[in-house]
Amino acid sequence: MILILSELSPEPLHAQITRQVRARILAHGLADDEPLPSIRGLAREQRVSVITVQRAYEDLERDGLIRSRPGKGFFVMAIPEQRKQLLAEERFAAVLGRLLAEGRADGLEPQRLREVFERVLRQEGARR
Amino acid sequence: MSANGGALAFSLRRLVKRFPGFTLGPIDLELQPGLVLGLVGPNGSGKTTMLHCLAGLLVPDEGGAEVFGAPNLVDDAAWRRNIGVVGEEHGFYMHWTAAENLQVVASFQPAFSHERARRMAERFALPLDRKVEELSHGNRAKLAIVAALAHAPRLLLLDEPTAGLDPVVRADVLDVLWELLEDGEHAIFYSTHVLSDIARLADELVFLSDGRVLQRSAKDDLVDAWRRISFRIETGGDMSLPAIVEHRQVRQEHQVTSRDHEATLAALRSLGAESIEVARLSIDEIAVEILRAKGVDRVAAR
Repeated sequence: MILILSELSPEPLHAQITRQVRARILAHGLADDEPLPSIRGLAREQRVSVITVQRAYEDLERDGLIRSRPGKGFFVMAIPEQRKQLLAEERFAAVLGRLLAEGRADGLEPQRLREVFERVLRQEGARR
Repeated sequence: MSANGGALAFSLRRLVKRFPGFTLGPIDLELQPGLVLGLVGPNGSGKTTMLHCLAGLLVPDEGGAEVFGAPNLVDDAAWRRNIGVVGEEHGFYMHWTAAENLQVVASFQPAFSHERARRMAERFALPLDRKVEELSHGNRAKLAIVAALAHAPRLLLLDEPTAGLDPVVRADVLDVLWELLEDGEHAIFYSTHVLSDIARLADELVFLSDGRVLQRSAKDDLVDAWRRISFRIETGGDMSLPAIVEHRQVRQEHQVTSRDHEATLAALRSLGAESIEVARLSIDEIAVEILRAKGVDRVAAR
């Protein structure tokens, strides 16, 4: 598993790991029941502290994306497609909520926010 | 005993070491195997003294130390078996070759493995046939690491391990440390006054000032909790904010440093603060703030 972790990111290292592993589970790459790297193995590979990886795995476990089998390590949960979509939506809603609050703080009305959202969505769609 | 039933990598219990004009302790500190603890403090705060007490190079005046369950006795070979020490002064014989110096180390350390030393030297591209005086600063540091690890100790005590090394050598040294940690049996306790490059290795940090422990925290907890926050507020009266270590004000504009941004932000919102901006701090910046504030809320914000 190749992750890109940066000390320069505004996101803490453990959150970067959580986000990148989550994306692999929800969107691509990691199959149901696939084993994840061990905590120490990933810590060494990514040159981060053991506690950092541990925290990321705990967050993923709490979100129901991975599970630990005592003595065997961590595995990707078998997640139905519907639930994957739901999890992705929940996460998107949380990020969007923060962005909307920023827009409101800069004085944008809900109608304007909606228009900007639609415009950016169209631009993103055209880019693909 | 640690949570998982095994012995602690080390424990210090009410450890005190007195010098004229300086006292270290009393210190209570312990470390689980598999973890890396960084000892952070300004020069003269007692970092080296603490490491030397743990390494058996100094006899504490009170209290004691244990390493993997065995009490420390100065010059006790069985106890030293578990410890590898890299100090600021390497203490090599400058006119002798690196290999001859390793022979000297081996004569004091029954568990010394020449095979292990040779493999590490090869990996570091360290010329063992050269005299130490001919070796670069970086190669001397690598030799010190080889000398400290050749007997496969489980606890590594490092005093400013990467100070003055160029970035490539630092990365080589850190690589070796990371590999050691993978089996979960080893523990590393290192002192530093610059955190930046070695901070990624640390699981926890303990802050030392004037011979006393200010606080010990998981590194990720610090990074998650500390923030610099700026805001505007139209109040002339008293304003008391929680978790603040620093406060600057220019008319209605304020900037604070918070060690618990959620508590601070909640208070700011209830006071009706506006234009709130929040920025994360690097672990270096956090360390400076903790050492400056000496662990105490210094400023009651006005």
